[in-house]
Amino acid sequence: MNTGHATTGHATTGHATTGRPPGRDPAALLLTALRDADISVVASLPDSWLSPLLTAVDADARMRHVKVTREDDALGVAAGVALAGGLGAVVCQNAGLLVGANALAGYTHLHELPLLVVAAQRGDVDDGFYYQAYKGRVVPPVLDALGVPYHRMRGGADPGLVTAAAGQARLHRRPVVLLLDRESLLGEAAR
Amino acid sequence: MRRLTLARTVAAALTADDIVICSLGSAGRAWREAAAPNLTYYASDPMGMAPSLALGFALARPGDRVTLIEGDGDLAMNLGVLAAIAGAAPPNLRVVVFANGRYETGGGQTLAGRLDLAAAAKACGWERAESPPEDAGEADVADAVRRMYAAGGPAMVVQAVEPEASPYPEAGRWSQAEDKAVFQRELAAREQLGGRS
Repeated sequence: MNTGHATTGHATTGHATTGRPPGRDPAALLLTALRDADISVVASLPDSWLSPLLTAVDADARMRHVKVTREDDALGVAAGVALAGGLGAVVCQNAGLLVGANALAGYTHLHELPLLVVAAQRGDVDDGFYYQAYKGRVVPPVLDALGVPYHRMRGGADPGLVTAAAGQARLHRRPVVLLLDRESLLGEAAR
Repeated sequence: MRRLTLARTVAAALTADDIVICSLGSAGRAWREAAAPNLTYYASDPMGMAPSLALGFALARPGDRVTLIEGDGDLAMNLGVLAAIAGAAPPNLRVVVFANGRYETGGGQTLAGRLDLAAAAKACGWERAESPPEDAGEADVADAVRRMYAAGGPAMVVQAVEPEASPYPEAGRWSQAEDKAVFQRELAAREQLGGRS
């Protein structure tokens, strides 16, 4: 397998830390970036860090917000949007990518259907809960094993990275994952 | 009822512009055997993912009526999707479940439990989910399919079909990604013709 994805994931670490306007609402920035990427269907399962973003998606009449009961269904919904020629987004906690591993692998290697995942990267250095820790350790190497490109967003919401990842998904005809830290999702409230 | 009879019954209820998505397994093979002219995507693996794929597709193409040809084994793998579809409530999605009570391609092993999938759909909030009796005749099943299309979506017919051996077919010549490309090119050609076939 091409293990370049590991490089991809780590090489983009820190990409998000420059050029952002300070103090702006990260949910609004991320929502605008999703819209700018021509994404109008968002399938989700919640996480406390995702609450502002999901509230913003719900409040935007241009967004179709699909609530699912398992993350693999969110991936399926986004893949269906791709089959129709568009690009859909999944918003979930990183553990949802473990639930959705078979779907991610199938859409990456079998169907080649693009979609964008915006995932809360729980269990990293900014997360104070022991029960979340395994997710931070396990999810990146699982994505590497699945051959799914991923990029870290750290230190604040980075709309440019959302746009770039959506473009990569379309170009590569594959799912692309963004793993967002606490500040990228909650902004100053995370401090 | 034989599964090919059910596939032909559904095919007879479709218009030329209807789009079909098939789950993996014997239901999809029955649909292929029925040789309906409709644009069809055979979703293949991962198992359990066809309903959400059809949901996303239907939401992205609100002007097209979409029918999912589904197996009861595929749906049993992921009953939660019934709630997701009920919540999103796409008016253009219909689902026909071929219910043989077993994993036909896998060797005929029976499903867990005593599933009443129409009842499960209703419990999840579907407005219409009908399950004609196991011994229903062709005319009665055709009526149920017509009622499904006459209702607002999402709507479902769950029809018991006879167990019929369905061993693995020969490996296909084209990959799913290649089939997807053909499907998407046909969709694009429709749009160039004004959105319809």
